[in-house]
Order: sequence, then structure tokens, then C-alpha cells
Amino acid sequence: MKNPDYPDNPVIRFIGIGGTGVNLVEKLAMIGLQGVESHSVDTDNRSLSNCHQSKTLLLGKAIPCGLGAGGDVALARAAVESDRDHLLRLVSCADLVFVIAGMGGGTGTEAASFVARLAKEAGALVVGVAATPFNCEGSRRGNKAAGGIRDLKQSADIVFHFSNEEVMHITGTEISLNNALEIANRHLCESVLGLSRMLIEPGLLNVSFSDLRDSMTGRHSLGSTLCVEGVGENLAADAMGKILSHPAARMGKALSEATTLLVHLSGGDNLSLAEINTFVESISSHAPDIDLVIGASGTGSNNVLQVILIIVQKSNSKASLIQTNLSKNLTENETLDLNYPENFISSGENSYIGLGAESKGANRVRFAYTPPAPTVETITPEMKDNLLEAAAKQEPNRKKRKEIKQEMLPLEIISKGRFEKIEPTIHKGEDLDQPTYIRRGRMLN
Amino acid sequence: MSNSQIIVGLEIGTSKVCVVVGEVNDNQVANIIGLGQSKSRGVRKGEIVDSSVVEEDVRNAIVEAEHMADVEIQSVFLGVTGSHMRGFNNTGVHPVVSADREINDADIQDVIKNAKAVNLPSDHSVVHVIRQHFSVDGQDGILNPEGMLGAKMEVDVHVVSGRYNRLQNPIRLVSGLHLQVENIAFNGLASSLATLSTEQKELGTLVIDLGAGTTDYAIYSGGVIKHTGVLAVGGDHVSNDLAYGLKVPLGRAEQLKVDNGSAVIDPESKNRMLDLSTDNIVPGKKVNLNHLQMIMSLRLREIFELIANDIDQAGLINYLRAGVVLCGGGARTPHITKLARDIFKLPAAIGRSSTVSGIKNALDEPEFSTSIGLIKFGAFQSQAIPKREGLGRAIRKQFVSLFGGRK
Repeated sequence: MKNPDYPDNPVIRFIGIGGTGVNLVEKLAMIGLQGVESHSVDTDNRSLSNCHQSKTLLLGKAIPCGLGAGGDVALARAAVESDRDHLLRLVSCADLVFVIAGMGGGTGTEAASFVARLAKEAGALVVGVAATPFNCEGSRRGNKAAGGIRDLKQSADIVFHFSNEEVMHITGTEISLNNALEIANRHLCESVLGLSRMLIEPGLLNVSFSDLRDSMTGRHSLGSTLCVEGVGENLAADAMGKILSHPAARMGKALSEATTLLVHLSGGDNLSLAEINTFVESISSHAPDIDLVIGASGTGSNNVLQVILIIVQKSNSKASLIQTNLSKNLTENETLDLNYPENFISSGENSYIGLGAESKGANRVRFAYTPPAPTVETITPEMKDNLLEAAAKQEPNRKKRKEIKQEMLPLEIISKGRFEKIEPTIHKGEDLDQPTYIRRGRMLN
Repeated sequence: MSNSQIIVGLEIGTSKVCVVVGEVNDNQVANIIGLGQSKSRGVRKGEIVDSSVVEEDVRNAIVEAEHMADVEIQSVFLGVTGSHMRGFNNTGVHPVVSADREINDADIQDVIKNAKAVNLPSDHSVVHVIRQHFSVDGQDGILNPEGMLGAKMEVDVHVVSGRYNRLQNPIRLVSGLHLQVENIAFNGLASSLATLSTEQKELGTLVIDLGAGTTDYAIYSGGVIKHTGVLAVGGDHVSNDLAYGLKVPLGRAEQLKVDNGSAVIDPESKNRMLDLSTDNIVPGKKVNLNHLQMIMSLRLREIFELIANDIDQAGLINYLRAGVVLCGGGARTPHITKLARDIFKLPAAIGRSSTVSGIKNALDEPEFSTSIGLIKFGAFQSQAIPKREGLGRAIRKQFVSLFGGRK
């Protein structure tokens, strides 16, 4: 299981799927984190031909013939299933697999959850990293993306999610498309890098792989990674302030709602216990009853306190929050932007900003997404239990669960009574002679 | 009495046939002196489906009105409606050709004739051409251009048209009763004539006539008709929905509608059951009041929403500064004004036929607004006829001048 070159470190793999995923993995590979393997997987030969740093795998040589899935989920599914063996080889013997994909297209949406499932079955800890499209890309794409995220969440242990739309909330709408995508990419990359560094960097107090595993395995929840740097006289206080003002922390609310927080502090040689103490105390004050895992290393530069904070959310605090507090969230974010715009826009190479979980894919949740029917082989009894459990976890409070509406089947022939034999009143294809309450699907009970 | 003129309005409605006798005196003020009505059995959605029973119903109503007014009815103004009727705006253009460029009456008639020359489907015929505004050489908003100077004259008109054959059905039926049909008028227009004051027409008002078979509506703004429409959905649909939903006979559903109906769902109606066991329909039959109100409220809400959509498309919603006036039998539904206020976001009131005088209880009933409006329509007509005849005008042309702001 262990990589011979880096015997102490867990085997980490980045798998980028689909156009966006490939792009991101290529960027991550370029940073060249040691001990990490990068793989690009796509159905499109063109996007793979741009990959120089990562290993490539073309999906569906027989079906889309390297022409891409073109947003066709069924085609992507066929392709990914035909290359199951190759993908299995890709994820085997890994401890931590990042499945990185852009949602809303064909390949990324469909293959990501498939690869995540394979990796899970191969025994790895699976972290999904997903980008969702701009609202202006259309509801169809948004709908698909929301479904893709849901599927990915079910197969991966945790999903870091960043919506492109969020870039606009941070920077305003004036930004160029190129810059917007650049910022979105950077946020996603920083989520991944933050987590990887936490594991790889030799530390005084280690956050070990098993800590990560304990806090994430089987959660099927959303999460986020925040990377901030504390500078100035009071490093700890400055870092904490930046964390609280970070959109993903939602004024510290995300901290208190989380189940687990993994904190990694990285300072210079002179990183004092007092500073660590102050920082941990202030975190604890925001999140009193929480599983807190602390790591620290002294390899960084002096006078700078780099903090990587991973928030693992309760399985569904996010979703319910999205539904109830969407508008509130937006305004919160907007006020935040006003206070700290330069922090997010002009963050340099070394500042990692992970906005993973703060999802504005929110308004897509209401779309009814029909996931593809699971094939017999993919659903094992164990998985079924997991799915049921996950569904139960989604909303433990029975009353708050979204009411599933039973639509009336048009089997009953509705008698038009008095208007049976005369010219019907048709308005925009609707027969107004039929009772309104039936056409509107209201039940009498 | 010698100088007064008898005008009769006849509305063959879906639920009732209604005859109103009016007396128009020298000052052209209409006064209601008689009223006759009978239950209508052969009309669906405002159109005749069984001539023989309708004939009988009309005769009964006429006889009743004759008795009450103590006159012999010879001619009537007939209200027409139906899903086939359309209202739209059109513009006519006419160059002023006379040497001095002064616009004379012939020019006005010509421009209106041009405006009437609309591209109607072959089976349609024009019911009303109502002039709105003239414009002379691009100067808008001229009410009467006669005597002005100009080279090019335009007129905006509102045209109401309907299928010729379907319009002829009631006319032929009434003619068969040896009654002369002096003219026909669109029900929505007649209702608005009865209920709206000059100020309301000026400010902008939507009149909705909630009939049994159809819902007719008209919009006035700036003193002229801007828009008319018919929705072939009405009180009958409410009863039919109730009969279907509550599983009671149609007649009983109608009774339930009248006795317990509401346009909005009363929160106190929840779990209240109405005991129908005394009716000998089904022993022990009970209906849930909440269901009844929900079915009714949804239907009425839908009707208003469809009208609101139509007005919105016509771009007139912001012109309705005097709000919404409701008339017709449906206006009796409790809380209907509240529903209208909710949907149109405008003040709403139940229309009173305040523009004529006469039998008090007839004027207060919203059901009679169409028939009373027909008398008003007739009064305009007969007021115009002697003048025009003296000038040798064709009868058709009088229509046009009636609603152009001149009364």
C-alpha cells in the first residue's frame, strides 16, 4: 500500500475527470507536490493532448472514440463502464484519492461518482472536488450539476464544492470570464493542496492520515478547506480573524455546525506554544463541542502563521441551510466581500483559499434530478445500506424532510360533466373545462 | 310619455334570460321601468345550444317584463358573447384631399372606414368599431378633428368581431319571436357602460363581468375602450367543479356554491362538514366546507389570473388607476373583491348600475348590469339616429361615433 519513495506518507492520487477536471489536475501537477500522482481522465482526446504533467487515460475508446461525451450523460456512462478495468487500476493501492471534476457536462458529471465508487471499493479515502457552472449557463446544466454533486457525495467520503457563480459573489460581476475561471480554479486547487500538504509536510504535531480517515470516512458530506495566513504582531488573532471573515466560514457559523475540524498550523522555527494555544482556544470558543484535530509544523517562514483548516460538515447541515437561508447567505457574503475583497482577489501563490463548501449551487437543488438507474452489479447490499443510511442522515428530523409529492397519474378520465359535449375551452393547451384543482394537482383530503 | 322612448335590453345568458325595459326621456336619461327574467336552459358558455327551449325562456322573460313595465315590446337591443369573439385595436389612415386641407365629416367617415378594413377571418364579422383617438399629421390625442387643418389623418379604433354564424343564432332566434333586433352589443361592453362613471373611464378601469358561461372583460382608459376579451369560463365551471369534486348533483352543487361559497379559503372552514342528509340526495352525505372553498377559490383565482395575464400582455396593467369593477352573478361570491385585489394588485369593487335611474333593486344587482348596459347602449344609438338620419348617414356609421368620447 505504501509508496516506496515516500514510505512515511500516504499514497495520494489526483484524478481529474472531464475537461475541467483535467485542467485542474494539470495545474496541480504543475505545482509538483512530492509524492502525489496525477491522472487525467477524459473522453475527449483533445483535452488530454494538452496534458504534459499528468498521466492520461482516454475513456471509451470504442464509443465516443475520443471525441468527448458532449454533455451526454448516457454516453459518458457507457464510456466509463467500458473502461472499468483501467480505472480500477488507477485507483488501486491508493490511500487518498481526490476525484476532481467539473459538474454539468457529460464526462465529469457521470464519471466522477463512478470513479469515486471504484476508489472507495478499492479501499481508499475518497475526496471529491467539484466545480459547478455559472447560473447563466442554463438550468439544464445546473440541474445536471446538482445531480452530479449528489451522486458524488454518495460515493465519496467528502466533497469539496466550489460554484463558479460564487466567484461573482466574491468579486462582483465586473470580472472577466478568464479571471473568474482562474479564481474558481485556484480555490479548488487550494482545497486540494491544503489537504495534501497537511498530510505530507513533516510536522511537530502531525495530522496523520488516520485522523483524516476517522473524521471523513463514510460521512458523505460536504466540506471545505480554508487556508489563511496570519501576519503581524499577533499571528494567531490575525489568522483567526481571516478565518472568520472567510466566506466558507460564514462568520464562524460553519465552524459551529461542523462535526470535525482539522487544523494545521505552520509557522517558523519560533512558532510558540502560546500562539498555538491562543489559536486553538479561539477556534474552540466558536466551536465548543467539536472534534478538533490539531497539527503543527515549524518548517514555514518566520513571522507568518499559515493555517489550514478543514471543516467537515454534518451530513446535511449544508443542504438544509441552502434551502432555508439562501437569501440570508447571499447578503452575508456580500457584506463580507466589501470588507475583504483584496484578500480574495489578489491572493498570491502562497495563500490558499478554499471556498469548497460554500455552495451557491443552492438554487439548483430544487430541480428534480433523476439519477441514472443503478445497475445490478454496482449496488451491493452493503451499499444499499449505506445509501439508506445516507438518506436517513440527510434529514434526521422526519418532519423537516422535504415532502415527496405523489403526482396523480392521468389514469382517471375526468368527466367534464356539463361541458361534456360542447366546444371545449382550450387555453394554451389546457382544457379549462376540467376542474382547476385537478389540473393543479391539489388533493382533497 | 309621448316624448319618451322605450328601449329594451335583452341578454340571453347562460344561467338566465334577462329583459330590462328602460324609458329614455327627452334629456336622454334612461330610467328602468320593467324587468323580466327566466331561468335559461339552452345556453352553454354564452351560446345557444338548444333553440327551442331558449325561445320559450326568452318569451317568458319578455312577457314578464311587458307586464311589469306595462308596455308592448317590439324591438330589443341584444347582448352577445361567446368564445368566438375577439377584441383588438387597429389604426386607419386617410389623406385629407380637399383643397383647403380642412378636415370635414366625410374625411372622418373615410378614415374610420379604413380602420374598419381589418384583416378578419372570412367567417368573422365586425360587431363594434369604437374610435379611440384621432391623430392629425402626427399630433396625437385628438378627440374630434372636424374643422382642423391637416394633410394626414389617422384614427385608432377598437374593433370587436365575432363569427358571423354564431352571432346570427341569437338574432335569428329573437327575430323568430317577432321582435326586431335593433342592434347587438358585446356583453362586456354593455356591462362597462352600465357600471362605469365618466371619471372611472378616464382614470382607467377594468370591468369584469363574471357570468355563468363566460367571463367578459373590458378596459377603459383615457375615456375610451382599450381592450376587450372573453373567457369562456364562468360560474357554471365553478358549479361543475364542485359537483365533480364533492360528488353531488350539479343542481345541489350550484346551491352549495350560492349558500356556502367563498372566493378565498376561510381558515375557519377547516374540518367543517356540511350535512346534506336532509336533502334526500344521499342519506348521510356530508361535504367538507374546506374542500368546497378550495375548489371554488382555485377556479376563480384561475379566471382572474388568465385575465391578468391577458392584460399584462396587452401592456395595460399600469393604466388601471381606478382599479377593477366586478359585475355579473359571480360578483356576488363572498370575498371576490379580496381575491381580485390579491391578483390584480388593484382596488376592486362590485359594480353598481349607477349610470341609470329606475327600479332600485334592479340597479343594485350585479347580474343585471349587462341588460342595463344594453339600455344605455340603446339610448346612445337612438340619440344618434335622428341626427344622423337627418344628415342621411348610413346606420352602420353611428356605431363608430358613439364611444369616441362624445356622448
